[in-house]
Amino acid sequence: MYLNNFEYFAPETPGEALDLVARMGNKAKVLAGGTDLLIMMKEKMIQPEYLIDINNVKEFKGISYEPGKGAVIGAATKISEVEHSPVIRDKYFALHQAAGELGSAQVRAMATIGGNSCHASPAAETPTPLVAFGAKIVISSVSGDRELPLEEFILGNRKNALAEGELLTQFILPEPAPKSASRYWYIGLRDAMEIDAVNMAVNMVLENDGRTVKDLRLVMGSVSPRPLVSVEVPGILVGKEFNSELVEKAAQAAAGEAKPISDIRASAEYRREVTAVLARRLLQQAFDAAREV
Amino acid sequence: MNKDFTQVGRSVPRKDGPLKVKGEAIYTGDMVLPRMAYGKIKRSPYAHAIIKKIDYSKALEMPGVLAVVTGDEAPKKWGIVPQTANEVALAVGKVRFYNEGVAAVAAIDEETAEAALDLIEVEYEPLPVLTDPFESMKRANEVCIHEDAPDNILHAGDQLFGDPDKAFAECTYVLEREFHTSYVNHAFLEPHTSLASYDTQSGQLQLWSSTQVPHYLHTQLSIVLEMPMSKIRVTVPAVGGGFGGKGEASPADFCAALLSRKIGRPVRVAFERSEVFATNKGRHPCHMKMKIGLDKDGYIQAVDFDNTLDGGAYAGWGIVVMFYTASMIHLPYKVPNARANVRRVYTNKPTCGAMRGLGGVQPRYAMECMLDEMAEMIGISPYELKMKNAVESGYRSVSNLHVPHTEYRKCLQTAAERSGYLEKHGKLPFGKGIGLAGGYYISGTAYTLYQSYKPHTTVLIRVDTEGGATVHCAAADIGQGCNTVMAQMAAEALGIRYEDVHVVSGDTELGTFDLGSFASRLTYASGVAIKDAAKQINDKLFEVAAGMVGCRADQLEVKDCRFYSKFEPKKTIEWAKVVDVYTNSVGTLTGLGHFSPPRLKGIDLTRGKRVQGANIGHSPTFGFSCQIWEVDVDLETGKIRVDKVTEAGDCGQAVNPMSVDGQVEGSILFAMGQALYEEMKVAPDGKIINASLHDYKVPTAMELPEIDTTIVDSYDPTAPFGVKESGEGPVQPTIPAITNAIYDAIGVRFTDLPITPEKVLKALKEKQENQKSEGR
Amino acid sequence: MKQLIELTINNRVYEVPVSPKDLLADVIRDKVGLTGTKKGCGQGDCGACTVLIDGNPVLSCLTLAIACQGRKITTIEGLVAEDGQLHPIQQAYVDHGAVQCGFCTPGMILTSKALLDRNPKPSEEEIKRGISGNICRCTGYKKIVEAIFAAGETISTEGVK
Repeated sequence: MYLNNFEYFAPETPGEALDLVARMGNKAKVLAGGTDLLIMMKEKMIQPEYLIDINNVKEFKGISYEPGKGAVIGAATKISEVEHSPVIRDKYFALHQAAGELGSAQVRAMATIGGNSCHASPAAETPTPLVAFGAKIVISSVSGDRELPLEEFILGNRKNALAEGELLTQFILPEPAPKSASRYWYIGLRDAMEIDAVNMAVNMVLENDGRTVKDLRLVMGSVSPRPLVSVEVPGILVGKEFNSELVEKAAQAAAGEAKPISDIRASAEYRREVTAVLARRLLQQAFDAAREV
Repeated sequence: MNKDFTQVGRSVPRKDGPLKVKGEAIYTGDMVLPRMAYGKIKRSPYAHAIIKKIDYSKALEMPGVLAVVTGDEAPKKWGIVPQTANEVALAVGKVRFYNEGVAAVAAIDEETAEAALDLIEVEYEPLPVLTDPFESMKRANEVCIHEDAPDNILHAGDQLFGDPDKAFAECTYVLEREFHTSYVNHAFLEPHTSLASYDTQSGQLQLWSSTQVPHYLHTQLSIVLEMPMSKIRVTVPAVGGGFGGKGEASPADFCAALLSRKIGRPVRVAFERSEVFATNKGRHPCHMKMKIGLDKDGYIQAVDFDNTLDGGAYAGWGIVVMFYTASMIHLPYKVPNARANVRRVYTNKPTCGAMRGLGGVQPRYAMECMLDEMAEMIGISPYELKMKNAVESGYRSVSNLHVPHTEYRKCLQTAAERSGYLEKHGKLPFGKGIGLAGGYYISGTAYTLYQSYKPHTTVLIRVDTEGGATVHCAAADIGQGCNTVMAQMAAEALGIRYEDVHVVSGDTELGTFDLGSFASRLTYASGVAIKDAAKQINDKLFEVAAGMVGCRADQLEVKDCRFYSKFEPKKTIEWAKVVDVYTNSVGTLTGLGHFSPPRLKGIDLTRGKRVQGANIGHSPTFGFSCQIWEVDVDLETGKIRVDKVTEAGDCGQAVNPMSVDGQVEGSILFAMGQALYEEMKVAPDGKIINASLHDYKVPTAMELPEIDTTIVDSYDPTAPFGVKESGEGPVQPTIPAITNAIYDAIGVRFTDLPITPEKVLKALKEKQENQKSEGR
Repeated sequence: MKQLIELTINNRVYEVPVSPKDLLADVIRDKVGLTGTKKGCGQGDCGACTVLIDGNPVLSCLTLAIACQGRKITTIEGLVAEDGQLHPIQQAYVDHGAVQCGFCTPGMILTSKALLDRNPKPSEEEIKRGISGNICRCTGYKKIVEAIFAAGETISTEGVK
């Protein structure tokens, strides 16, 4: 279980980092948390010639929030920082939950929010709520930055939209709407260290009446090669008064939209069934929470 | 309980605790010797194939590579059960499971050794792969795994006691069920590691190994290396858990030794986690049919047991495990008639072997679940049914198992009372349930499985002014804490404090003979030998002390590091002073104690006839326990949450109650893993597809339920210090207790493991559909 | 390929020659000689190799040694006080019978320390969650949870000597 030989770079400024990424191209891998990358290297799935460690670039780290504008999270921010951030807990609760359920305390102290999206595992925790919040990402390169909705960045199992010479540097989360709330949960065999059979995030906005759904995003993980944004659930609930009959209809719709596969963790049928359960529970929880806002 | 004990019965911290919390305990993988090289094993990409050719010339050319060995260089077959020895250090001519070792490399560092593996070229001729025992038996004429087993069966046994057919015919209640258990691994935390140092001049080999059985390892090394045992010394550093998985020799041991002998330098071989799964020796998946008959009053009249054990590629402990499963139907209930038809089948999978509570866990699952169901048939509580049939002290089973002492009923009663079982069972809302199961286990074996009748444990106690009291015994402390327990028992017997007793264990040269840490044997076995040795010491010290205080030796007693006259307590002297006087005149004082297990025979008592394999399962005494589990089933996701576990155990006199609790709590989580989460999954080509702790899911701290344990008041008068086992009995009731609790919650009886949320949800749906179609 | 780097381990600076690919676990064990850090799986699944980096629990089997320059590394050997007294967490593990085979113990204790440093009075649930990345196969975790709870009490009343 030894790694291949590689050259190691630890840039300290964004400029240095982007310059290295540009120069090394596909022969390099970016080292953020390393909890996925180094395992892939140990198993000889990849053997990069260069590793560019971005942990010393301060500009890529940290969480900032401006009322009315939203939050910006540096791509190299550790999951544990996201988990423990008061502003994330207050404003983006589903992301706080997902960060807290990712791996173990050790993995959370090492892994980064950018790595979690770049690795593009279908079972990844944080992309699900991030997509539910309508997060955009900033992709940087020596020739400048471009922005992309996160759902367009994750293309499939271990595939992302980074072109050669590009680096994911930020997540931009819009200010949550008034009277809105979000919830995340997952289904797995154990209560820790799980690869989720299904995970899901719901971000719901209510009208001032506290009953009518104004806007809604329901995103599913682990039931499709990439975060799956439900089209049907908002169609069923938005503009309607929230009630259990509609929730049931929405839950079934979500299950219908899911495209799960069978693997060693769960069968497709089971995944589909519990997708409906998660949807039902999370819609209710988000609704209850939004009413309290 | 004998309240007079001062050292036995104390919850003292373990002797090795401080070193371990400081990270200073030395495990085999922490050791580095001068000139040490590193070994790695080349493994087969086929589960069943003929080895046509091995070419390692390129590997030898690689800078840093020192040597390569292949199976042909050590073709002697070894086996933990000598009668069925069929394993080799590295495959010879043929591989029989995926990732079986075919060659080993020694190099100047581990990285070079690992890289050199890719340069070893092996040509294979793949053979059909058999992963299912029933398919294996069916296709034996076409695919043969071992030439000497043309039916692909290691061994089959048929045991008959009494007349079960007649008894069944007369029974009021008869139930027959099938059960299937899964393929699970010990998942101890320290992968197998071995360090061998061969001296080319003297021809002497020293091997440090992460093993439970230094003596068995010693004998197997002697066979494979074709060296006399006197030229081999096995030393056991700290061991990171075993649970049976280090209860045999490991290829790491053989490869380290072979490579070291070849290059004349020390060689260390440390397994990766994937190699732990590849070499397995975990619990046998069992495919069981059980039939139980009760008379009109609920008394068991007969049990019929049929078991097909999926053994994997080699023999291992297989035949022993097989006969254990047969013997385990005779207790802890009175069974006057019984039959067992058992067979252990070869498949192209990593071999199964010994795992905590071996042979008991599978039949216990079947029997405890069936009695739960039969109680319902009769219309009584499972508690009542089990109390009614429970064995009593002095019971002798129809197979001649003798139970000198039991508090099993007290275990049932205590657990039921503390959990409120009778008030809750059958009365909780749908989705919540409570389940009860009992169990027992041996405290060592009573008939030798060993090739000779020499004592199974010998203890040497040395007393002098230099060391105080030192206990020498080649027992292996694998984390269960036997060193601490031996010190407590020796201190008790010598009348001193456990803190003052040194224990020298885990070394075949420094320690006197011990068979090893398995079969929950050590507390009892070493206890007998310690008492014996201590008596010899005391006899001599009493005489000297008597002279010093001025009374007769037989009027003295020793306690709290002092000799006292029983009649004139003022006549007293310090233990150390007496030792000083004795050693100054006579020199070091030693006592040598032995434990030989009683020889009990497995016969059919109704006929007085010997029954093949029925010697297995006998023990000097037995531990008993009961567990009651309370679960909450998520009816929508099938997920099972355990709310509480109430346990009560009869381990005789607890030598160290804190340690007993640790064994019980550890057992509960260990068996809970098999019940709910753990399973090695094998692809049709024989590859284990979840050979990592990522995908093989052992319980984490998040799975820890509330646990309430009670050590019931117990003292076995036939046992040294009244002791019995506590390391393997407590795994027995777990799986059926959970299963019975799930039944109580949702009305579904699960008969195969693990009981995953997916299975629960599927069963709930089927149940709903059945109810609909029945128009309810 | 090898270069000399400085690693600060348990407040002591070590100069060690490393290749970029060398993992922290191997460097700590083989080059620095602190073998209290254990390797149980090599894949970040068992937690036995946990060390603290700048106070955070980190899997040293998935960390490049070269990336740890300028950081404060704490291994199990760094917990004992200078006078040899056990850290309250270590003492609690001994006293509560939270140690059996001991192989998970160093990593478990360091994870416990990171937890208690962040939250000196954790609830039982918080303790379980905090240590869920450290597999223990011997104890069933109960005594470990009790030890951490007790150590938290000791530290908040008496502090760490």
